[in-house]
Amino acid sequence: MTALADHGADHGAEQGVGQADSPLRRFLADFFESRVATVAFAALLGIVFIALFAPWISPTNPYDLATVDILDNRLPPGSEGFTGMTFWLGTDGAGRDILSAIFYGLRTSLSVGVMSGLIAMVMGSSIGLVAAYFGGRTDTLIMRIVDVQLSFPAILVALVLLALLGKGVDKIIVALVAVQWAYYARTVRASALVERRKEYVEAATCLALDHRRILFRHVLPNCLPPLIVVVTVQTAHAISLEATLSFLGIGLPVTEPSLGLLIANGFEYMLSQKYWISIFPGVALLITIVTINLVGDQLRDVLNPRLQR
Amino acid sequence: MRIMKAVLGATVALAMLGAMPAGAKELRVGLANEPTAIDPHYHNLTPNNALTASIFDTLILQDDRQRLLPGLATSWKALDSTTWEFKLRQGVKWHDGKAFTADDVLFSFERAPDVPNSPSGFATFTKGKTLSKVDDFTIQVKTEKPHPLTPNDISQVKIISKAAATGASTADFNSGKAAIGTGPFKFVEWVPSDRLVLERNEDYWGEKSEWSRVVIKPIKNGAARVAALLAGDVDFIDKVPTPDIARLKNDPKLSVSQGPSNRVIYLHLDQFRDDSPFVRAKDGGPIKNPLKDVRVRRAISKAINRDAIVERVMEDVAIAAGQLLPDGFFGVSDKLKPEAYDPEGAKALLTEAGVPDGFKLTIHGPNDRYINDAKIAEAIAQMLTRVGIDTAVETMPKSVYFKRASRGGPDGSPEFSLVLVGWGAGTGEASSPLKSLIHTYDKSRGMGASNRGRHSDAKIDALIEEALATVDDAKREALLQDATEQAIGNLAIIPLHYQVSTWAARKGLSYAPRTDERTLYSEVYSN
Repeated sequence: MTALADHGADHGAEQGVGQADSPLRRFLADFFESRVATVAFAALLGIVFIALFAPWISPTNPYDLATVDILDNRLPPGSEGFTGMTFWLGTDGAGRDILSAIFYGLRTSLSVGVMSGLIAMVMGSSIGLVAAYFGGRTDTLIMRIVDVQLSFPAILVALVLLALLGKGVDKIIVALVAVQWAYYARTVRASALVERRKEYVEAATCLALDHRRILFRHVLPNCLPPLIVVVTVQTAHAISLEATLSFLGIGLPVTEPSLGLLIANGFEYMLSQKYWISIFPGVALLITIVTINLVGDQLRDVLNPRLQR
Repeated sequence: MRIMKAVLGATVALAMLGAMPAGAKELRVGLANEPTAIDPHYHNLTPNNALTASIFDTLILQDDRQRLLPGLATSWKALDSTTWEFKLRQGVKWHDGKAFTADDVLFSFERAPDVPNSPSGFATFTKGKTLSKVDDFTIQVKTEKPHPLTPNDISQVKIISKAAATGASTADFNSGKAAIGTGPFKFVEWVPSDRLVLERNEDYWGEKSEWSRVVIKPIKNGAARVAALLAGDVDFIDKVPTPDIARLKNDPKLSVSQGPSNRVIYLHLDQFRDDSPFVRAKDGGPIKNPLKDVRVRRAISKAINRDAIVERVMEDVAIAAGQLLPDGFFGVSDKLKPEAYDPEGAKALLTEAGVPDGFKLTIHGPNDRYINDAKIAEAIAQMLTRVGIDTAVETMPKSVYFKRASRGGPDGSPEFSLVLVGWGAGTGEASSPLKSLIHTYDKSRGMGASNRGRHSDAKIDALIEEALATVDDAKREALLQDATEQAIGNLAIIPLHYQVSTWAARKGLSYAPRTDERTLYSEVYSN
């Protein structure tokens, strides 16, 4: 009897210990509880894989002008080109294989989105932490700058910056960082304000730890959950903003099209029924942004303590 | 009594209804390029010149192939080699009812070269000419040197009303205050980027237009313009985008008119700098500018597959070019054919010129000026890359592009190494491109004004100058042909193709295509 009871107690204890010891496992279980999120996550992994390995899995290199032939332009999906190669998704107005162009375009779009997202996150959250921790004038000054920044439409700020800076991947990233950092600053400040008043921060202050250590080792980790959610949402936002800028023709050079530019190039062929030049890159962009947003939504649900069931 | 009244009322209403459609016919137009002003002397630019031609007249008009026709002048003749006499049309009324006289002509030619803040003016047509009044309907034009193209120059300057425009600024024209002409339409209003409204001039001296009102909507985007026509929002559009032409031609509800333009699309190559900013060795280091070598220029010309550009990029709506103007214009040589596509020959020439492995190059072009301009630049980059010249493409809006291409470099020199541009011969003959594109750059004399490659050859200069001063037509034509042949032989520029203009309208309207690409609303007819 006692043995049985002991056994049961042991079992329970084991389970309890297992759960308590592995918040990651609980997090994963919560995350993959939703089938939509699981599918979205798998699709996102696929997209990231394509973007990372585009040069090895693309049928052609769409940026190599020596292999792109104008004589192959505007071929419908599935047709054969001059060299006998099949263009499964057709070709665009310059003779590029749409499938390869989408692979390379995803690479550009994702790297621009992630790069600008990361830089903006580091910048924005540091500024937000500083504002929350020091408070007073520093806080007021920083938050007013953030307010001013947020009161301008993102696309307008990006347009002005690109008009001043010129074309190129690096310049697009600069413009996107300038547009995004304020969101991170605001989010991190809000949760850091809450954390700052907690006892563990007081304890750390009493131990006379320096500001940097308190900020980055104590406060920041506790602000991470909302930050992770903002990162995913803002990355999707950055990708669509980059596509918009390219669509308007002020992003990247015409010979190295990203998804937005591919869509813009095909736009003028829409009325003449050459749908594939715009539609396929459009679908790729749509899938990318929707999957990132779905993953972001699920992250928010899982990481939000108030929604904890 | 009540019945009487009702019948009377109905009759009046019917009469009014009947009267309305007979006199009132409105033409709604979707226009690709909105003019920058209503002031006809502000900006010498095709969209401006085209629109103001409906409001203002010139002494001499041009027909659809740019041959000269009497306008406000009924006849003209050369009294001697430097004096021309113009007889003016009598009984012409300005839109405000005043009478047109020689004083208006003198006033117009005085104002034309001298409008404040003009981005590109009309001095090139008035330079070296002195006008004098003989009587109210006769004027004389004195030129410094014999100048057989005087009538062609005169045909480019719009005549404005002295009474209405004395002291008027460009803004006064745009508001309508000074926009008083003698043309087939009166100016009603202009709301920039929304609409421009014209009204028939009932007292026009020539054939009256059948349209009592013309409403012009600027629609910059090609696809949107076509969509507006398909939806019936407009009756008539210009500059149909090439991807849509085939479809519109097959649409039974529409009619399409198409004809060659006097505009050649060509490349200028940097021929004046030893170190050209956008030419680099394959390893990215400096290289002695190979574009100065005629063999390299010929290699570039041979590497370009003009037929592929015409067929694949322009969708057969263009004509491969071998010189400065298409066949049929004055001064065109019948010996020059488009350079044949020969990539092997191009590679051989590069080897001969000492750059067997090619070099790095950037082609610059506008992306909103010529038909498919950015796509042409991209196709050329492909073709040059294939013979070993690694070519990058940079395209930009015309507002930025032309400034940089003409004077963006140090000391106002052209900034780029290889530029894609076009030239429409406003005078309708070969001296116009020869003078502006081929002649040695000389700002003070207005020669080589758009020579962005700075090609310079004293022999060709002499031929052009001689042609400009030769009154005898046959002799002048021979000189122009000779100059063209030598310029193309030297590859001063590399011609690509001549544009073809396309207009589309709802069924029942017709428009005869013009070589100067202008849309003249009085020449839109319903049949």
